[in-house]
Amino acid sequence: MRHLVFLLPALLLLLALPDTRGRYNDDFDDGEDIAEFDDNDFAEFEDVSEDPAVDVEKEPPPRAAPSSTPIEDEEDEATVENEDGQDEFEDADAQDQDMYSKYDNEEFEGHEKTNPSFKDTLIYREVPAHLQNSWESYYMEILMVTGLLAYIMNYIIGKNKNSRLAQAWFNSHRELLESNFALVGDDGTSKEATSTGKLNQENEHIYNLWCSGRVCCEGMLIQLKFLKRQDLLNVLARMMRPVCDQVQVKVTLNDEDMDTFVFAVGSRKAMARLQKEMQDLSEFCGDKPKSGAKYGIPESLSILSEMGEVTDGVMDSKMVHYLTSHADKIESIHFSDQFSGPKVMQEEGQPLKLPETKKTLLFTFNVPGMGNTSPKDMDSLLPLMNMVIYSIDKLKKLRLNREGKQKADRNRARVEENFLKQTHAQRQEAAQTRREEKKRAEKERIMNEEDPDRQRRLEEAAQRREQKKLEKKQMKMKQIKVKAMS
Amino acid sequence: MDLSAKIIYKPPNTETNPTLEDPTPDYMNLLGMIFSMCGLMLKLKWCAWIAVYCSFISFANSRSSEDTKQMMSSFMLSISAVVMSYLQNPQPMSPPW
Repeated sequence: MRHLVFLLPALLLLLALPDTRGRYNDDFDDGEDIAEFDDNDFAEFEDVSEDPAVDVEKEPPPRAAPSSTPIEDEEDEATVENEDGQDEFEDADAQDQDMYSKYDNEEFEGHEKTNPSFKDTLIYREVPAHLQNSWESYYMEILMVTGLLAYIMNYIIGKNKNSRLAQAWFNSHRELLESNFALVGDDGTSKEATSTGKLNQENEHIYNLWCSGRVCCEGMLIQLKFLKRQDLLNVLARMMRPVCDQVQVKVTLNDEDMDTFVFAVGSRKAMARLQKEMQDLSEFCGDKPKSGAKYGIPESLSILSEMGEVTDGVMDSKMVHYLTSHADKIESIHFSDQFSGPKVMQEEGQPLKLPETKKTLLFTFNVPGMGNTSPKDMDSLLPLMNMVIYSIDKLKKLRLNREGKQKADRNRARVEENFLKQTHAQRQEAAQTRREEKKRAEKERIMNEEDPDRQRRLEEAAQRREQKKLEKKQMKMKQIKVKAMS
Repeated sequence: MDLSAKIIYKPPNTETNPTLEDPTPDYMNLLGMIFSMCGLMLKLKWCAWIAVYCSFISFANSRSSEDTKQMMSSFMLSISAVVMSYLQNPQPMSPPW
């Protein structure tokens, strides 16, 4: 046991010795022994057989700074100066140059003596724009936001302008309307007819007013169709193609308030357009629009009429006076007992029934100013409203003579016949399908009948009916043939 | 003026004719949604911005009777498209030229 006690420390000492040697890497000691046990980075590069000076040269340049101290000391064989950093680096630079010139050519390929090109091969990467501290790179986004702000500003300004124009119109026309109608302004929400006394806003550019409670008419709907001043795109489009605000008045009449005729007067462009678009004008006023000069109104206006008598009856002196003095503001005036709106394009071909018609007077006025309207311009539309009221009263009294009435009736019958002819094929098809449906239903009834006797009886009854139908048809054909022959 | 007490109640908004209605707000709404989806899926910033514009135009042209919920949803969708595009790629938009 005592031997073991003494042996253990000795063994430990023996084992520790090489470690200590390795840790305290004494580069200052020359000699082969040290180099063999030297475990620093440069141990493999150091060639023990060569001169210490040569060893120094073979160290790679990046290691020049940290290893400058041992190199220095090896050369100088004097004191180590670690603390003075400057001297160290100065010497290191000097060492670098010396090292480059003493390089062994075989070791480094493609190495030039003068090599300032190191600096030229540096590539400067651009800093990404979003990491730069400048707003300038986001100019597209700023543009977009500015555009949006401009749109919002225009929306507010346009909306306010339209609202002011509508209010100005209503203020100037309120008295006239309230004296003529018992009910002015109804938005249709309440169950009872109550006068709200204000415009009903449908849109930012369309305002409605419903007036009712007068003799000679059921009611009057006034629509203020302003330009879309709240939409910037529309504003820009209007700069290319000027359009004006419009006031549309639609008076619906009772059956006894108007005789049967169709008549229209307005600007030439409007008349040409209406003749193509409107169902009743295209059917009853087939002739081209006549110039208004014949009747004493400006040439810029043209007339579409079902018959001459109607034109003579409508164009009295007062009407002519109205039309002449306000010709620039009148877009179109349309009186019709067969009014059903514009032609409806249906996908399945012609509709099976004639469209519903209503006795209507339709006035479309242009607001002066061509878009640059001011609230004061609304006063100039007041005489036109007077014309509307006058027309309502006038048409109540206007009656066609016997000839005119007959002609009108013939026209209506003709239109109806044409319509029926056009839809004949479709109506036949519809009738056929109805008949087939009936047959099928009957057959099903017979099949579902449980009692076999009853079934048989029903079948026989059906057969007899079929037989009768066939006989009838044959008789008819015979009659037609006889008629044709005679 | 002879006023007979013949008040007939009639709602003036019997606009059953579809040809008279302005289709702009509906088209712009649809366009806005399409551009929003393109901006979100394809990560295109300009699509998202156009979607914002479309929803603004749709709002400006809309009728007061129209549902505000649809307008708001289209608006929110376009804003979210813009925000998502920038979160995924904070680089500024480059002009097409």
